[in-house]
Amino acid sequence: MPLHILGPLVVIGIAGIVVLVHLLRLSAPSRFDTEETARRAWLREFPGTAVRKVRLSQAGDAALVETESGAGLVWAFGADTVARPLAGAKADAGPRGLTLRLPDYTAPRIHLPMPPEEAARWRARIEETR
Amino acid sequence: MTDTLSYPDVVNLAVPLFIAAILAEILWIHLKGRGGRYETRDALTSLIMGAGSVVSGILLGFIAWGFFMTLWAITPLDLGTSWPVVILCFVLDDLRYYWVHRFGHRIRWVWASHVNHHSSQHYNLTTALRQTWTDTFAFVMVVRAPLILLGFHPALVLFCGGLNLIYQFWIHTEAIGKLPRWFEAVMNTPSHHRVHHGRNPRYLDANYAGVFIVWDKMFGTFVPEQEAEKVDYGLVHNLGTFNPLRVAFHEWVGIWRDMTQPGISWRDRLMYAVAPPGWSHDGSRDTSETIKAKHLANHPEDRGTPGFS
Repeated sequence: MPLHILGPLVVIGIAGIVVLVHLLRLSAPSRFDTEETARRAWLREFPGTAVRKVRLSQAGDAALVETESGAGLVWAFGADTVARPLAGAKADAGPRGLTLRLPDYTAPRIHLPMPPEEAARWRARIEETR
Repeated sequence: MTDTLSYPDVVNLAVPLFIAAILAEILWIHLKGRGGRYETRDALTSLIMGAGSVVSGILLGFIAWGFFMTLWAITPLDLGTSWPVVILCFVLDDLRYYWVHRFGHRIRWVWASHVNHHSSQHYNLTTALRQTWTDTFAFVMVVRAPLILLGFHPALVLFCGGLNLIYQFWIHTEAIGKLPRWFEAVMNTPSHHRVHHGRNPRYLDANYAGVFIVWDKMFGTFVPEQEAEKVDYGLVHNLGTFNPLRVAFHEWVGIWRDMTQPGISWRDRLMYAVAPPGWSHDGSRDTSETIKAKHLANHPEDRGTPGFS
């Protein structure tokens, strides 16, 4: 197929599919209903860890996980979830929420929108437990 | 010996079909309320990876083509282009695909190229298009060398490879359950390939087939989809980014960081490139073998069942 046809076809095709998926309300991020849901999401990625405590964010889009080997984070990622230990993470609490920077190419920056007070609390807990 | 032979670029010709099938799958799932999941950013990432793969082929395809034409100039054999030869080439190229794919899961250097195809936590027709941008750097074109040296023209081999890729498109779906027994016995199907995309310990390193599932049965890597164990799609440690550049290159970056870390031997540096994914010099990470072993330690009742034999 000539490039002058293939190129526009691909661009229009991608745009059409993405717009359709969005219009069907399939852009909503996942949420943790309970601490148990967040714990299961953590154990899905790190099945061997002993989880001591799970603290859910007020918005339900993330949870701090205390394990025997330090703090971890499990958070909503699209319609699914992702989890990472927080060793080496830098946490910044600001007016728009908490920003975590990880030494991890596949999750270099995680921004969690939350009230400033909650962000400050989370930051302090991360500093304590990691 | 034939030097100028051309076949249509079937993958590019199939692009309208890909788009139409994806739209049909989305509408099917929406109307029926079952048969899979879509999410906007995940789908966009997969589609961009697919487009990028085509661009990568246009920009870098000359390297593999040059290699193949060099082999073609060397070989004294020319099997021609009759229908039996085309069919034989298709079957042998599928065997080639099985081994390339198996290497892609067992050698980290090749996995670095292939991993992005497994990086979605979804399994739908857009996942099929989440293709590599870096296969030229994985050097997997060498596995096609025997076919060309046997007398299959490079254009024919690439044509068969394109057909193989198109076949694999439609099996990336949850909308199709199990097909008739005879078909499931011989062909790769949505059910068999769902297993391949699973991150469950049971399903790791299974069902490498492209078109014919018989290769997995012959070489001992076949695991049937279990009704009692739903496939959990994605990577052992899923990506926390939708950025296509990070999806495309993350494992290469990982190899670089591991190989250049201080205080390890040259053998360890090499192993970080060629050992199975998850290998580490201090044993601090998990390979598929250790993941399965840990699972069996916690679930001894699974020993001897599919995926744990």
